Amino acid sequence: MIRKGFKQFNCLKRVKHQKDLSVYTIEAIDMDRKEEKLIRCLEQLPQMRVPTNFSLQVMDRIDARQRRGYWIGSFKKLAIVSLSLVFLTLVFFSNLPLFPQFNISGLSGYRRVELKFYALSENPKTVAVAGDFSDWNTLQMEKKDNNSWVITLKVKPGKYQYSFIIDGEEWVPDPGSYRRIEDGFGGVNSVLVVNGE
Amino acid sequence: MTEKTDREIIVEVLNGNRDFFCLLVRKYERPIFNYIFRMVRSKPDAEDLAQDTFVKAYSALNKYDNSYEFSTWIYRIALNVCRDYFRKKKIFFFSLSSPIGDEEESELEDFIPQDSFHNPDDVLLNQELRLSLEKAIRDLPLKFREVIVLRHLEGLSYDEISTVTGLPVGTVKTYLHRARKKLQDELGELLE
Repeated sequence: MIRKGFKQFNCLKRVKHQKDLSVYTIEAIDMDRKEEKLIRCLEQLPQMRVPTNFSLQVMDRIDARQRRGYWIGSFKKLAIVSLSLVFLTLVFFSNLPLFPQFNISGLSGYRRVELKFYALSENPKTVAVAGDFSDWNTLQMEKKDNNSWVITLKVKPGKYQYSFIIDGEEWVPDPGSYRRIEDGFGGVNSVLVVNGE
Repeated sequence: MTEKTDREIIVEVLNGNRDFFCLLVRKYERPIFNYIFRMVRSKPDAEDLAQDTFVKAYSALNKYDNSYEFSTWIYRIALNVCRDYFRKKKIFFFSLSSPIGDEEESELEDFIPQDSFHNPDDVLLNQELRLSLEKAIRDLPLKFREVIVLRHLEGLSYDEISTVTGLPVGTVKTYLHRARKKLQDELGELLE
């Protein structure tokens, strides 16, 4: 009994499925027909007229572009020549630091500066120097002859105050330098300027 | 005198005979102008962009690869010109609500009457259907519009469209299928 009912249900289902299939087939045919019509409509769409003298206008634009290209090219050449001349003038006729400077001597930014002390009247026994570059520690100078002492310092570019110390007691500014500055204690220091070049 | 092929004309132009390029312009001005017009839907813009296409082609002629047909190459330039145009204008889709107004009507006189090589029974493209179809094409996303115009209005093969757009042939077919489906949905009963 149950089996019979099941068979009937399956049969009904099959009929319904066949109906669906036929609906789908009709729809598919309908879709194909629509697509075919659409394609034919697309192919029948009218074309636009090309504006008159179109090709001549294109050729005019090509000419204009070539002329503009020629002038831009000429301007570029002129600009390059002018800039080169300016650059060469600066290199040869000015002291401007146009190139970066690299120190490969191992001193890495230090400069060698030679300080000299000339004794004008008295003949001191020892001469030393102290300054910002030595944190005001005294550095003994080497006696060159009877009235001159010398020392070579390694300092970075910058501005330094310094003084000479005669016989370990008397602090005097450098008699050979006019660059001087008050030391804030009633005295005067000399000023050493070390260039970066 | 036999007509020169595109390649022969290009050789002439590259040899310094600039005026020969005019022959190529005259040969391709109609399809290129129409393709661009279908894409941008503005006659002045289409004219400007079509001229731009040919000027660019002239400038790049020394880079032209002989293995491609010139027709395919010039379509590719036109397609890129249109893409640049949309990129600059940032309009990838036209407004769905934009009416088919006076501008569209005034263009009617610019259309060339279609040659009657079609079956007379095919006189199905009435005014209403034509305008609806134009609008439906205009409203297609750019990637669909490109393939539908190239295939059904310009008559390019799948391979040619693939070369022009840079898409694989399979993608071209998929885009075409989806574009046609969209057009059918838009046109609805008009296609009955």
